[in-house]
Amino acid sequence: MIRKLLVILVALVLYGCSGEDGLFSSKAEGSVTNYDEDLHGTYASTYVPLDSKNIVIRNATVFDGIGNKFQNYDVHFSDGEIQAIGSELIVDGADEIDGTGKFITPGIIDNHSHMGVYPAPGVRTSSDGNEATNPVTAEVWAEHSVWSQDPQYKLALAGGITTFHVLPGSANLFGGRGVTLKNVSANTVPDMKFPGAPHSLKMACGENPKRVYSSRGPSTRMGNVAGYRDAWIGAEKYKKSLEKDPSQRNLRNETLVGVLDGEILVHNHCYRADEMATMINISEEFGYKVSTFHHGVEAYKIADLLADEGICAALWADWWGFKHEAYDMSIANIAIVDQARGGTGCAIVHSDSASGIQRLNQEAAKALAAGRRAGFDISEGRAMTWITKNPAKSLGILDQTGTLEQGKDADLVIWSGNPFSVYTKAEQVYIDGALTFDKATNFMPHTDFDLGIKEWEDK
Amino acid sequence: MKLFKILLLLPFIVFSDADDMYVIKGGMTFLPDGSFAKKDILVDEGQIILVADTIGDVGAENIIDAEGKYVTPGLIVFSSLGLLEIGALSQTNDTSSDIYNAGFDPSKAYNPFSQAVRLNRAKGVSSTVHVPGASGYFSGLLTYTKINDGYKQKKQGPLGLVTSYGESYGDSRAANLMFMEDLFDFVRSANDGDADEVQFIEGTNNEYKFTKRDLKAIRKVLNREMPLVIQVSKATDILNVLKFADNQEVDLVLWGAAEAHMVADEIARAGVPVILDPLDNIPGSFDSLNATYENVIRLNEAGVEMAFYYAQGAGAHNAYLATQSAGNSVAMGLDYGSAMKAITSNPAEIFGLVGVGSIAPGFDADLVVWDGDPLELMSNVENVLIDGMDQDLSNRYEELTERYTKEKELPNSYRSRE
Repeated sequence: MIRKLLVILVALVLYGCSGEDGLFSSKAEGSVTNYDEDLHGTYASTYVPLDSKNIVIRNATVFDGIGNKFQNYDVHFSDGEIQAIGSELIVDGADEIDGTGKFITPGIIDNHSHMGVYPAPGVRTSSDGNEATNPVTAEVWAEHSVWSQDPQYKLALAGGITTFHVLPGSANLFGGRGVTLKNVSANTVPDMKFPGAPHSLKMACGENPKRVYSSRGPSTRMGNVAGYRDAWIGAEKYKKSLEKDPSQRNLRNETLVGVLDGEILVHNHCYRADEMATMINISEEFGYKVSTFHHGVEAYKIADLLADEGICAALWADWWGFKHEAYDMSIANIAIVDQARGGTGCAIVHSDSASGIQRLNQEAAKALAAGRRAGFDISEGRAMTWITKNPAKSLGILDQTGTLEQGKDADLVIWSGNPFSVYTKAEQVYIDGALTFDKATNFMPHTDFDLGIKEWEDK
Repeated sequence: MKLFKILLLLPFIVFSDADDMYVIKGGMTFLPDGSFAKKDILVDEGQIILVADTIGDVGAENIIDAEGKYVTPGLIVFSSLGLLEIGALSQTNDTSSDIYNAGFDPSKAYNPFSQAVRLNRAKGVSSTVHVPGASGYFSGLLTYTKINDGYKQKKQGPLGLVTSYGESYGDSRAANLMFMEDLFDFVRSANDGDADEVQFIEGTNNEYKFTKRDLKAIRKVLNREMPLVIQVSKATDILNVLKFADNQEVDLVLWGAAEAHMVADEIARAGVPVILDPLDNIPGSFDSLNATYENVIRLNEAGVEMAFYYAQGAGAHNAYLATQSAGNSVAMGLDYGSAMKAITSNPAEIFGLVGVGSIAPGFDADLVVWDGDPLELMSNVENVLIDGMDQDLSNRYEELTERYTKEKELPNSYRSRE
């Protein structure tokens, strides 16, 4: 809680004194950039958690998100933070919940969502996910499209989602910046922004950009690659010119230089193995790092390379065949990536879907079953990292959420049974220690859009 | 009694080719009453001959030990399996037609060697109701096809005429109803001998041309030889199409029906079945603002007959995930038997399919042996019988998995395909 207040205070200070070096100024030597204040100043998170409970859940089965599964365990949280997990915890003054037969997991994290930028109902007037007017639109920010009243958030919340990452679409080589949001009800986007989460940059390989720009180019994969490299060369020039003229502004290059300086994380939509390898080459040429490949239907073909490079792969359990670059599917994709190089791979189950995000635990279960069928010895605890720790790592927020370790945000889910079963439901969801969803009492946020529509639903 | 039954069957057994005979022993078997019970199943000449607590030695060469396992009817899915290989590649997509509308039967394009067919068969699907893709006013005809290995498949149909009602139509939904009324009146009054191609409502700028084949399909609906299958979401639209079908004296099946729960009693009173995905709970359009997980629960309470398909994710390529939709419906509160029937016997019942969808004597031997609860996410398929033949469950995706997990010494393209 104190840390969170600090973040907000710092944000306010930066907002008031733009231009001064702050806590979040670039660490790169000799770099004079001015995106920092945008990153954590004017557009910084204004999220304030609801009041945290002080609760100890007793005698539950606990997935800690690091890879362990504990029987008959207790979880204590208060002041918005995980205080302790263990057996027979001694806690004074906390409300007690009997967790017998229940399962506890960290809050589920989806690192690939378009909720808010493609809200429901899906109509042209609020279809705001692809700025498909130029192959390079690194200057646009998904958070400036997000609709805070999207009725899909609460459906994801009922599936245990506490944090999600909203990306621009994949029409462009550079689609723009993504934003990481807490799954909370709010009237403004900054009120949902995950405090201190790094910005991200969406890039896209393959069929989509070359289809969208076929008449003006790029129209081929080699055209795509030339497009990325051209843009990075431009960013390098811009970075150099900042030394002479630090006051100049260029939104597109500020994003790209943010990547070169290691402040903005690259999330790269890329299906084919050979293209992912090319994208790694490009990152080496210009000295940045790819955080995560998304949708890599062929990631299993280069699982060792991904593990060696420390790149995560955010994948579907079983989507395939809807386009050519999604044809070489292996249902064991996630497991193979996870088990690469002696289990040092970083596999993530992502949704890219307002439906799939509601059941990310079920998608992980299918991927786990496929992995075991392919001969891997993978525990449920390990598979749980695919939807908790690993997406948190991919988004640069693992120091705050994604596991049930002491001092982390009290983002957690109480499940009716084993989350790898189709019959299991999230019963309660806590975000920063505050109850945000309670199945038994039908307690959940309702957006303004829901009012007057869902008359049949208990409010 | 049991002995008596077997004696009665003996002549049949003696004259049949023993290669075709299977006994599936001791599996928890899904029975037509919606329960599981431990049974032996005798299969011969493609059919289920006997379902009994124990079946002794009848000389069957093929014994499948299903002890500790589950046996269900083969899944009947609603999909475009075998009609398209890669969704976005039109060259491989035969689901829709610009030439024909009501009379379009996509099953003529069926490719039994589609990789999607092979994968779905390996996941427990024994047959599909082919769903034509939306194109023009009518999408076309529903037909039924077994997805067994080899060139020959048993087919049934046409089963229904597919159209849609609501926002998907370009004009006012009021005009949509008027159009359908006028069209049906026209077809009623027209003779079979009319010109091959008729531009309907001459003098308007509409583009609806109907060939003789199209008119014939519409006539089948008017003669109640098959139902009109209407894709519709909104509650008031559902009431309108119920009234339309009643006035026109045609049979109706509702498809999608996200807001059906709001008019569940009216649907039940009309005796109209609903085909839907229980997972469709997003207010994805202004026609489905009241979409909810509660849909199947309320329809079931009202007594509406339902069949399920899986409409999430990659669609037809993962049609087998109807089990996930059904499993989730159980989590929402539907009883297990109803959920399992919605992906096996109900599709057969709704469309009058003969001899499929249930485990009982006289039915086609379309059977799946599972290593666990068939609706659970982590259960695997062990055997699939279609028309009494144990199917080859190998598929390209298992091969790709093996190629990248085994024999890593050589570059992958030099590794064995076995």
